[in-house]
Amino acid sequence: MNRLRSVMGYTWAGLAVLIILVTFIGNGYLSRRLAAATGVTVSPWITGGEVAKTSDYGTYRTVVHRPVFDGLVGERSEGFVQVDYEPGSGPPAVVEERVDFKRDKGIDFLVRLDTRAGTATVKDLAGTVVAIDHVYRVGKGWAVRIALRRRM
Amino acid sequence: MKRDTTNDTPAPKRRSFPKAFLLSLPMMLLTFAMLTGGKPISGPSQIVAFLLTYCFLNLFFFLMIYTGKTDRWRAPVFSAYSVAFVISFVTHLLEARGSMALSEANILRAQAPFCHMVIPMTLIPGALTKTIIFPGTIVGSFASISSMFILWIGASLSLGRGFCGWTCFFGGLEDGFSRLIKRPIIKRINPVFTYLPWALLLFIVLTSAAALSPVYCTWLCPFKAVTEYVQVISVKTLVQMVIFVTLFAGLVVTLPILTKKRIQCGLFCPFGAFQSLTNKVTGFAIRIDPDKCVKCGRCVRSCPTFSLDDESVASGGSRISCMKCGRCVDLCPKGAIHYHVKGTEPRSSGTLQRLLFLYPAFLFLATMGGGFFKDAIVRIIKLAATGHMI
Amino acid sequence: MEAFLLGLSNGGVCLAYCAPVLVPCLLAGSGGGIPKAVGITAGFLGGRLLGYLVFAVAAWIIGRALLGNAGARESIIGLAYMMLSVMLVVYAFTAGRSHSCAATGMGALMLKLSEHQGLSPLLPVAAGVATGLNFCPPFLLAMAASAEKGSLSYSIFFFFMFFLGTSLFFVPAPFFGLLRSHAAVRTVGRLCAGLVGAYYFFSGLIMLTGGIKSL
Repeated sequence: MNRLRSVMGYTWAGLAVLIILVTFIGNGYLSRRLAAATGVTVSPWITGGEVAKTSDYGTYRTVVHRPVFDGLVGERSEGFVQVDYEPGSGPPAVVEERVDFKRDKGIDFLVRLDTRAGTATVKDLAGTVVAIDHVYRVGKGWAVRIALRRRM
Repeated sequence: MKRDTTNDTPAPKRRSFPKAFLLSLPMMLLTFAMLTGGKPISGPSQIVAFLLTYCFLNLFFFLMIYTGKTDRWRAPVFSAYSVAFVISFVTHLLEARGSMALSEANILRAQAPFCHMVIPMTLIPGALTKTIIFPGTIVGSFASISSMFILWIGASLSLGRGFCGWTCFFGGLEDGFSRLIKRPIIKRINPVFTYLPWALLLFIVLTSAAALSPVYCTWLCPFKAVTEYVQVISVKTLVQMVIFVTLFAGLVVTLPILTKKRIQCGLFCPFGAFQSLTNKVTGFAIRIDPDKCVKCGRCVRSCPTFSLDDESVASGGSRISCMKCGRCVDLCPKGAIHYHVKGTEPRSSGTLQRLLFLYPAFLFLATMGGGFFKDAIVRIIKLAATGHMI
Repeated sequence: MEAFLLGLSNGGVCLAYCAPVLVPCLLAGSGGGIPKAVGITAGFLGGRLLGYLVFAVAAWIIGRALLGNAGARESIIGLAYMMLSVMLVVYAFTAGRSHSCAATGMGALMLKLSEHQGLSPLLPVAAGVATGLNFCPPFLLAMAASAEKGSLSYSIFFFFMFFLGTSLFFVPAPFFGLLRSHAAVRTVGRLCAGLVGAYYFFSGLIMLTGGIKSL
């Protein structure tokens, strides 16, 4: 028994160098396999969530993300929707987007963005909007997060 | 505990030069392969950087084998590695985005390099929501989340908390500061503080899970002061920056100088507490031979992370927080402390077992650090030649 | 989750100071093996839950009575957070040296009662209720946090989750008495409670500032 433990101990210790070589040499392959096996993504609280709708208006584009209420378990009572603005050539000074984040064919709110100043206002049409959470500068465009309250 | 009133010096364990060279030869071959990546090196500055890095690393490994001292030769390499990392990382940031600061766009686009300190905070949200609460790339970029997880898994399986003593690119800064003066000015630290990393680990894991945000990175990481931080554009981000700089100045610079201990690593770092758990997985440990030990207390006084105390010495080993840096092994006047392979006889010879540990530990250090060494040297050469590093 | 995590971060302290009450109950019930120990622990925890739910209702009543105006609500809760968090930090670092919660006196009583044979099965439940009806700072913080929301169902749910968080530490109790490294758990629990206190102090400061601005 002692001998067996000793052999196992030396084997595990000896494998340490091999583990390190595999870790570095196989890092690319192993990291892809790990990512695929776990299926993890970056938290939507950071990225804004998956894209739900893209609208091309010629001189600019808007991207509406899905509503983010994701909690640790279940959903939180408060969340947000992110609306991105990407300018093309000759974009207008003020853009307005009608957002139906509940996908019930009704307009839930209107968000208005001053593309020069980077300020935004929101008009609540469904009683779920809390306020404009933040306006982020992203490259030449903007990302607006509208804080929402989830109706139970 | 008996006080050692004599000035015993540790017994030397020198090998013959040819034997030491032969034992170092595999490391020379391995580091050559890992540093070149199997590709030829081109460009005069790249060749110079490679040669300097290669010679530096292998010289210090040879000295470890030849003199029988571990920590004495580990420490300069480890500290140099941290300095090289800061130079390389910061210059890369400046090249890529013109600033050390992380802008809102970088965060929204998930472009931050992943750091191992975040790992404990990501586990519960990752398990329950299948998302990572860090603005990084999952796979395919520099320091992507997945690649850093693989490195961490490999280091944990092979070294356990030896990660902190041989691999952590932040630990070397503190290690270096802790060796600046000859004798400590602050000698006594309340042992209660050795539990603070565990309390902080519990706190940040729970609050990060509740907030779905990495609380330690956002509010408490001292190393934000020398790497990357969120752009200061509000009162909140200003307060965060003040906290980072204060913690760095206190825990990484001042207190290590005054105490000659790794204060951040031993008394604050929650990742260190988390990594201590992986000491249960690794095949290596530190053992104290009770027949040789005279209970002089030198190891307890010298341990940089408070991983030895009277109780652990009496039970023949170190505490779970041991980083296997080798300082106690070097300093023991009776040669009672040695690296040990778990499962083998407690009092078996430490020579082979030390070699079995040194190889993976130094190989990890050389491979992780080698890239940063080379890049830092190239940047320094560029600075000397052109007046700027970027 | 906030409630569960508040309970979990203070669970070490709760275990350390409820242990003197629970252990005599377990000793008194010894001879029935692990199933009996599980029963005693479950009864104790059931009593604690009952105590907590009584306070859930009390927190809701306080929330409704005191926190009408939005600005005043923020200011009062913020101030409560700040005061209770200071108490929590002090509690975390002085608990054990002087009496800190009902557990200390209860422990002596339990020891005396456990010396008698044929104890009532309701004794662990009563002991649990007594330790549950206890104004320790983590408990008061939980009260303030649930009072802020102003909903009875939320208050009850909040305290149930807080109870779950604290009770996780009691799970090993029937199997090997208590954790071997009891002193280490207690120290980590105290330090963690201090950190939670600092977090609530900071939260309270932000709420107080926001509340004063809106008045």
